[in-house]
Amino acid sequence: MSTDLPSEEGLSARVRPAGPTSLRFDAEVLVVVRKAAQIAAVAAFISLSACGGTEADEPETQVTTREEFPVTVEAANGQVTVEHEPERIVSLSPTATETLFAIGAGDQVVAVDDRSDYPADAPRTSLSGFEPNVEAILDYRPDLVIISDESPSDLTQALDQLDVSVLAQPAAVDFNDAYEQFGELGAATGNAEEADELVADIRDRIDQLVEELPDGPEMTVFHELGPDLFTASSNTFIGQVYEHLGLANVADEAATQAGTDYPQVSAEYLLAADPDLVILADGECCGVTPEQASARPGWNALSAVRNDAVIVVGEDVASRWGPRVADFVEEVVDAVRAVRESG
Amino acid sequence: MIRLGTASVRLGGAAVVDGVDLTVESGEWTMLIGRNGAGKTTLMRAVAGLVRYEGSITVEGREVRAVGSRERARTVAMVPQSPQLPADMTVGEYALLGRTPHLGFLGRPGHHDFVAAQDAVESLDLDALAGRRLDALSGGERQRAVLARALAQEAPVLLLDEPTAALDVGRQQEVLELVSSLRSQRNLTVLGAMHDLTLAGQYADRLVLLDSGRVVADGSPDEVLTEERINRHYAASVRVARLGGSPVVLPARHPSLRVPIEETSP
Amino acid sequence: MTDVVHRAETRRIEQPSGTVRGDMPWPWFAGGLAGLVAAVLAGMTLGPAAIPASAVLADVASRLPLLDVGTQLSQIDATVLWELRAPRVVLGALVGATLAMAGGAYQAVFHNPLADPYLLGVAAGAGLGATVAIAYAGAGGGLLPVAAFAGAVLAVAAAYGIGRSVGTASRATLVLAGVAVAGFLSAIQTFVLQQNSEDVRAVYSWLLGRLSTSGWSDVVVVLPYVVVSAVTILAYRRVLDVLRVGDEEAESLGVAVNRVRLIVVAAATLGTAAVVAVTGLIGFVGILVPHAIRLLAGASYRIVLPLSALFGAAFLVLADVIARTVLSPAELPIGVVTACVGAPFFAVVLRTTTRGPS
Repeated sequence: MSTDLPSEEGLSARVRPAGPTSLRFDAEVLVVVRKAAQIAAVAAFISLSACGGTEADEPETQVTTREEFPVTVEAANGQVTVEHEPERIVSLSPTATETLFAIGAGDQVVAVDDRSDYPADAPRTSLSGFEPNVEAILDYRPDLVIISDESPSDLTQALDQLDVSVLAQPAAVDFNDAYEQFGELGAATGNAEEADELVADIRDRIDQLVEELPDGPEMTVFHELGPDLFTASSNTFIGQVYEHLGLANVADEAATQAGTDYPQVSAEYLLAADPDLVILADGECCGVTPEQASARPGWNALSAVRNDAVIVVGEDVASRWGPRVADFVEEVVDAVRAVRESG
Repeated sequence: MIRLGTASVRLGGAAVVDGVDLTVESGEWTMLIGRNGAGKTTLMRAVAGLVRYEGSITVEGREVRAVGSRERARTVAMVPQSPQLPADMTVGEYALLGRTPHLGFLGRPGHHDFVAAQDAVESLDLDALAGRRLDALSGGERQRAVLARALAQEAPVLLLDEPTAALDVGRQQEVLELVSSLRSQRNLTVLGAMHDLTLAGQYADRLVLLDSGRVVADGSPDEVLTEERINRHYAASVRVARLGGSPVVLPARHPSLRVPIEETSP
Repeated sequence: MTDVVHRAETRRIEQPSGTVRGDMPWPWFAGGLAGLVAAVLAGMTLGPAAIPASAVLADVASRLPLLDVGTQLSQIDATVLWELRAPRVVLGALVGATLAMAGGAYQAVFHNPLADPYLLGVAAGAGLGATVAIAYAGAGGGLLPVAAFAGAVLAVAAAYGIGRSVGTASRATLVLAGVAVAGFLSAIQTFVLQQNSEDVRAVYSWLLGRLSTSGWSDVVVVLPYVVVSAVTILAYRRVLDVLRVGDEEAESLGVAVNRVRLIVVAAATLGTAAVVAVTGLIGFVGILVPHAIRLLAGASYRIVLPLSALFGAAFLVLADVIARTVLSPAELPIGVVTACVGAPFFAVVLRTTTRGPS
């Protein structure tokens, strides 16, 4: 549905023949072109507002959320200007990939990195998000590249030189951060409206899940990132999810003492903290299962083990801050419900 | 008794010891002489079973290569040219190492072992130094310590590779006198190698001159130590005189200078 | 010059470090034992779960058959004590003793006071095995210790194979073969890690060594290898003393040097590979402890090997206590502690014990 609206300058530059006798010819051409452009623009706007948005009260002729390009987006790597609506997006962030497809920008995407496994029909390649290879990226002739690292200076420089826009979307620190990133992607890809809808949907769904949670005493949670007991404190996105659900994170004390948001704890610390709920986010990377974790030395004394409150969550869902965060919230809510209902 | 029959040792393709026939009778003291590289050390190492050889070498009637290393160590004791003396070991401990071939795998030194080691230490006049570390000894004392270790082995055959190297003339004589008296006490068969031809002639019963791995002279010191032979096989320039009944080899810087040498009778 | 005419008295040959029998300087032995006991006590009473020492002792007493003492510990605390701290302390002692003895054994057969049990490629082999297991089977898998063990043993076997194929598997040849094997395996490990860069953190934490995830099952797995290794090495301690005069002289004293080297290296490697498989690569213990003992207590391997076991055990248990209390509740990798504690201590030992030219 994208239309290419060439600037007037560009057109006239192309059709102007050489020589002084062409002046009158130029003027006529210009008039025709302007008219054609106006008609095309109106047609485009009409068709766009017809298929965009479910908000029934939006008048068809009113252009509310769709912006003309070029657009400047305030992203983590500063002000990013996107000249034209991108048609060849390369995403090196699995979270951004999910978001892009959720806001309807999927057919603008030509390549996603090797870890972007959702949705399944995303054009997955062997590009690496960890160690981006500029040449390999350029091979796809992108006009917009989305990365999750905050400061890959050489990558940004190289792409800037070739007029490719780079949008950095590092790990979100809380829900609002994530929602903002959806908005950025929406604006940058010409799907701002869809992005706003996505945010509203997710918000609603999470609110509903929280409401349906049965009452009970405050529960503590331990979120395991790896079998060596790395965890995430409340200062992380995952931590914020738990906080939103009213769960206290046993990692917070360790995080304060260690001065990092992703502290490593010892088995002894965990036993002393005795969390009500243990969430294992290392099932796929490291083959950890609730049975295996419960068999670790000392774990048989944990309340969570005795109450069957050790669950594995999908690693992708737990490690990303994209549209599926509501799925993750649902998994946790189910676990909390199970524990509260069993007393 | 040591008997070599057409014994050869090949190192890196070349024959360092080449078809040597040699017999050292029990109780005899034979010295190997010859220039550097003549094969003296290699021949002794072959007798000690430390290097592969062709032909036959028997010690006390048994072929060296057919005997296990412990059995061999109980028969042949070797004092090497440059012994490695661990700095942080005492003279007493070191002498006790000589008892190793008698101890067996898990064996610990028993009464007799201590006695034998103590005897060896006393024989070498080292009992005052028994508690001293090896790196705190003088050159002469060190040589005696190595001898003590060899004696503690209580082996009937003693091999001495350059026992007097790096010793002053007094210590040289001391060591050789010790060996001489120990030989008669214990009826040892001694095979040694020396550079000092005069001393070799004074102490050994027999001299064997090696050149390029072959025996070129075998007999009493008088017979072997001739000017012509030494000059030829050592590529040297010497005069041989007789003093006190045994040959004395003198380096002669200007052989053409005919210096009268006074003969003294024994 | 002297004639030994009579030897009526059979005087023992005296040595400066004590009586001849056993040669063990008993004050040092007692000191080592006391150190180990102190370290074990520290290990059992210190940790993030604050359990007062009196409660610990009471619990221990309550488990002894004849005493009628009740325990004050909660279920959780008792689990912490007996399922976490106790196996950790025991494993630490076993690992420390094994590494120190293996280090001493390697120093003996390679005639080098700075040899360590990783000399012939154990570290590179175990590292490669662990990296492959983490990259392709997940860090929580049971494949990891097996792969590390296999890697360590195969590396040493390869070094021996290469050394022997050259000729006589002499000391120098073996060391060089070990260098070649270690270099090759390290390169492969780097490559595998490059291909699986998300596993870098897991591999790195394994490489630095930790006792943090150990339980009684680890102790049970390691025990047979450690026992075989220790018994063999200790059995050869007198022979290792003979080796101090060098390969050739030892041979002339009736020692089958190459065979002894093979057996001792095999025993030391077996023990090292087993502990490395379970705890990762803990450095410095194998090189520092035996050498410090040698400088302080005596150079005979009848002294060095048993005392190394004792002091190695105490040292590692103590290092583990430091590792898990300094940054509590996070844990320092124990390899960092052994280096930071061991290296300065060793410098002090060197300074105070330098004697004349060695």
